[in-house]
Amino acid sequence: MNFWFAVFRQAGRNLRQTWTSQLMTFLTVSLSVLIFAFFYLIYTNMIGASDRLSDDLRLIVYLEDDPGPEMQEQLRRKINNFDKTEAILFISKAEAYERFAKQLGKDSDILTDMPKDFLPASIEVVPLKSLRGYNQIKLFSEYLATLPGSEKVQYGQEWVERFYYVTRLVTIVVLLSGTLLILTATFMVAYTIRLTIMGRHEELELLKLVGATNNYIRTPFLLEGTIQGFMGSIIGLCALYILFQWISRHFAGPGLLNIFNFSFFPPMVIVCIIFGSIGLCTIGSFTSIQKFLKI
Amino acid sequence: MIEMIKVSRTYVPDITALSDISFAVDTGELFFLIGRSGAGKTTLLKLICNMDTPSKGLIEVAGHNINNLKGNKLAHLRQKIGVAYQDFKLLSDRTVAENIAIAMEVSYKKASAIRLRVRDLLDQLQLADKHDTLTGDLSRGEQQRVALARSVANSPRLILVDEPTGNLDATTTERVMELLNRSNKAGATIVIATHDASIYKDGNHRVMELRNGKIHSLSRNSR
Repeated sequence: MNFWFAVFRQAGRNLRQTWTSQLMTFLTVSLSVLIFAFFYLIYTNMIGASDRLSDDLRLIVYLEDDPGPEMQEQLRRKINNFDKTEAILFISKAEAYERFAKQLGKDSDILTDMPKDFLPASIEVVPLKSLRGYNQIKLFSEYLATLPGSEKVQYGQEWVERFYYVTRLVTIVVLLSGTLLILTATFMVAYTIRLTIMGRHEELELLKLVGATNNYIRTPFLLEGTIQGFMGSIIGLCALYILFQWISRHFAGPGLLNIFNFSFFPPMVIVCIIFGSIGLCTIGSFTSIQKFLKI
Repeated sequence: MIEMIKVSRTYVPDITALSDISFAVDTGELFFLIGRSGAGKTTLLKLICNMDTPSKGLIEVAGHNINNLKGNKLAHLRQKIGVAYQDFKLLSDRTVAENIAIAMEVSYKKASAIRLRVRDLLDQLQLADKHDTLTGDLSRGEQQRVALARSVANSPRLILVDEPTGNLDATTTERVMELLNRSNKAGATIVIATHDASIYKDGNHRVMELRNGKIHSLSRNSR
């Protein structure tokens, strides 16, 4: 018989003897992982969507009149004075008219009676990828509004603002559910290990007297925490995956999920969640051992 | 094997269980500790196996100051000491075989060797039919024999036995003593605390009598 065989057998005994409280702990850990992972999944998808949206982000500065080449150079310099940009594109009134006609396609004949300069000239500013935070974009748009000849700046403010606030809300929920996971998983495992230690008080006393080493006595309890963390996270993630599949199937098609390109966690994140859960449950187990298992 | 120098043990508020005890037990010796109930026999055995610590004095077991040992060193020494406690310390929800096996499991003995040794000991103590019985369902005499079997199971170098025949009839007492004598002949040092004169009156053993926590006499049995 070797050390690990003895440890696994002892952990198996512990799990069998206190199976009701073990089951409760296991369910709590699973539920905690499910709650946290659910919000984290929404969060990661929102961040992904936000990245995709920011790739298409453009600030349109509508101008009073077509700027001449010298004016264009001046405006370009002023814009770059605020921050470097990916691209600055000047759209004259005529170009705006052509674009609009192209967009209308076969309905473009409705423009036949309109003058070719009825649309305002504009500047399309594509900000650098590093300048894609909501507050930065807002500041940048306020600056662009002060440019000479600028009438209005547009970048889908309302949409961006709402999206930003929802992302912030989800971030808070992720942090709260993460804290909840840490507290519940750690506390429940610590409590269960404490119950096991108390229930096996006589046996532990005897083990000490017949010469069991500290590791022989303590390791099964640590292993118990590890098993709780591992099984709990696996079941929690499996439940989330089933939920994810159900949502994907029932809300597929041209809807919100398509904008979000709703996807499950990459393998690395799954591994991190499993190891995080194992770590927390082992810490819970360890604190109980330190407190209640005096050797 | 055992050396005690001026060992005392007092309990709060001021109960003196042992006072100024000095003696030595040689390796391979069969040593008897006698005295009335409350004389201090059990306390002395507890001090030797480090279940209790002395208030004063030095205790050496196999060359180690047992009160300075901690952690794995103490655990390894304890694996070499088999103790049959007066209150048996059996796990009532485990079978007889499991209770005996515990002493060998902590030393990582092979499962097959453990099974053989358990069967052999149960045969010797006439408990073969109780192999799978929960110890909680045994009589006191049977429990006593299981506790004794566990103390010798790991073939320890030192065996401490507290009242081994208290609940046994004459025939079973004889079997128990045969088992202890066999372990002694195999090289184990044995200390038996008893007030059953029938087990120490024959043979050439040293017998130490305690009275009120003090050594009253220490002599070699001449018969």
